[in-house]
Amino acid sequence: MVVEETSGVRGRSARASGRTALVTRIALAAAALAAAVGLFLVLSGGGDGEPQPAVAEAASAAATATPRRQASMPSPRPAPMVERIVVRNGKPVGGPARLRFGRGERVAFTIRSDVADEVHVHGFDLSKPVPANGSVAFAFTADLEGVFEIELEHARLEIAELRITP
Amino acid sequence: MRPVRIALASSGVAGAFLVAPEPALAHGLSGRADLPIPPWLFAWAAAVVLVVSFVGLAVLWRSPKLEEQDGFRLLPRGLSRAIVNPVTELLAAALGVALLASTIWSGLAGVQSVRDNFAPTFVYVVFWVGLVPLSIVFGDVFRALNPWRALGRGVGSLARRATGWTPPFAYPSWLGRWPAAAGLFAFAWLELAYSGGDDPSVLAVAALVYTGITLAAMACFGTEDWISRGEAFSVYFNLFSRISPLAVRDGRLGVRRPLSGFSTLEPLPGTVAVLVVMIGNVMFDGASEGSPWVDVAPDLQQALVDLGLGVSSALEVALTLGLLLTLGIVTGIYAVGVAGVRALDRRSTVSVARSFVHTLVPIAAVYVLAHYFSLLVYDGQAIASLSSDPLGKGWNLFGTAGSTIDYAIVGATTIWYVQVGVLVVGHMCGLALCHDRALRLYGDARAAATSQYWMLAVMVAFTTTGLFLLSQANQ
Repeated sequence: MVVEETSGVRGRSARASGRTALVTRIALAAAALAAAVGLFLVLSGGGDGEPQPAVAEAASAAATATPRRQASMPSPRPAPMVERIVVRNGKPVGGPARLRFGRGERVAFTIRSDVADEVHVHGFDLSKPVPANGSVAFAFTADLEGVFEIELEHARLEIAELRITP
Repeated sequence: MRPVRIALASSGVAGAFLVAPEPALAHGLSGRADLPIPPWLFAWAAAVVLVVSFVGLAVLWRSPKLEEQDGFRLLPRGLSRAIVNPVTELLAAALGVALLASTIWSGLAGVQSVRDNFAPTFVYVVFWVGLVPLSIVFGDVFRALNPWRALGRGVGSLARRATGWTPPFAYPSWLGRWPAAAGLFAFAWLELAYSGGDDPSVLAVAALVYTGITLAAMACFGTEDWISRGEAFSVYFNLFSRISPLAVRDGRLGVRRPLSGFSTLEPLPGTVAVLVVMIGNVMFDGASEGSPWVDVAPDLQQALVDLGLGVSSALEVALTLGLLLTLGIVTGIYAVGVAGVRALDRRSTVSVARSFVHTLVPIAAVYVLAHYFSLLVYDGQAIASLSSDPLGKGWNLFGTAGSTIDYAIVGATTIWYVQVGVLVVGHMCGLALCHDRALRLYGDARAAATSQYWMLAVMVAFTTTGLFLLSQANQ
């Protein structure tokens, strides 16, 4: 045992009992305050309290932060539309695209590339070859959640991220 | 893990110039990353943290419950003997040495691919992250598995018998846990800042170098002295194991109150640094996945390139600066708490800081669990196929080479609740340890509570920072 004994602040435990009630009251008041603060945060920050705002906010943040391809910014509930990712000189035009879907939705996108490679959708573990100056299409159901990398497997380059929210 | 390179490459203008010089590891080892926790969950969690904190103050206990009596009870002799005996000890040591050897061999001889080689997943997922929950639940399992301790004991006993060798130096008391702090920082730097930190061969070489240093240090100071204070991973996992209700005492397995293991932690020099590195490296790993780091990193990298550094080394320097800055922030937060306690406790800053440093261990533990939970659950599964084909050459040693990662095993919502849940539980454990230590030091509940306000602020700061980082990650 190596806890140092300390300069004497000992020996006041007699007064402890009367104070406990006070401490409890202060704590309860503080707890109520904290709960109120929390509720305020929830109501103001969370909008209607649905998980949806996370997606919307993230989308708008991304839109302001970086000049991304317009096509990768879905309208609130995208009608079935096919995302297009263009790879030129072996790189995704406009940086890696962001594809956003809700769980259970149909994911569909095409990749047009001027280099031959293999497109790998991580997580879903789907791989398809793409010929030089050709394109390849993917279509599947978004049945996993998370942020998944879409990669040119041989170049080991991320060309898009697939974001699937609950 | 290390999403920064792709973040840089993809963030706007800078991305046009600063292309990562090598394959980027965007999303963990397997190409998957967590969704950020949504704002409504962040708000609820923050509210719960505040309520928990104040309720914690309200239900104060009056005498130390963890410090003076840990309630240690021996488990039945048969059970204890079945788990702790010379045979299991030897098997565990052999397993540890075999895994170290496999890691080095895979790293050197295997394909140089982060996903197809045994070494990266084993080191960063199974060893570095997986042993944390094991230590928290089952106690100091790494002490049994530790390959360096096994080698030190083996070689040491041979040398003693053959040449009468005894360690020539006594472990200097001023050195304390500083070597462990340095070792953990080196590991964090390799993982988070060094551009080749995922390369199997780099990991193998690092493991060889570390093995050499550790063997030399054990030869100088003695195996147990170095293992218990200087060896980074022993110190790291031993700190987590003090949360566990299981402990071995005099060769017998027993149960004690959870968290009571900290009462016997010696406040050696360097212990605060160990905790700062433990918290800081996870905090930086989390911070580097989102704002504000992702916003400033490209500019920082560009500035370093303008100073004449290459793109790759500019990124390494930027990440190193980020890591050091994070360690500074962690130190600063803790220093505020210590300064607050010193209003009542007139000892030196260093003494007070060491008296309360163990209260940061639960915080460090839940940082690891929250940040790496999905890495462990998903990427950890890859060890099944990698064990069968450690070199990535198409072998199938155990018939599991074809096994794949099941991403449906947990959903994003479960991950969110686990992340937030463990942060709140860690917060409560930190508060409990603070209060208990304050009672032990200051004798009465009022003085304890007064000293605790500041440490409470420290805990709230760490917990809400953890929540904030989870809400910013991969936005």
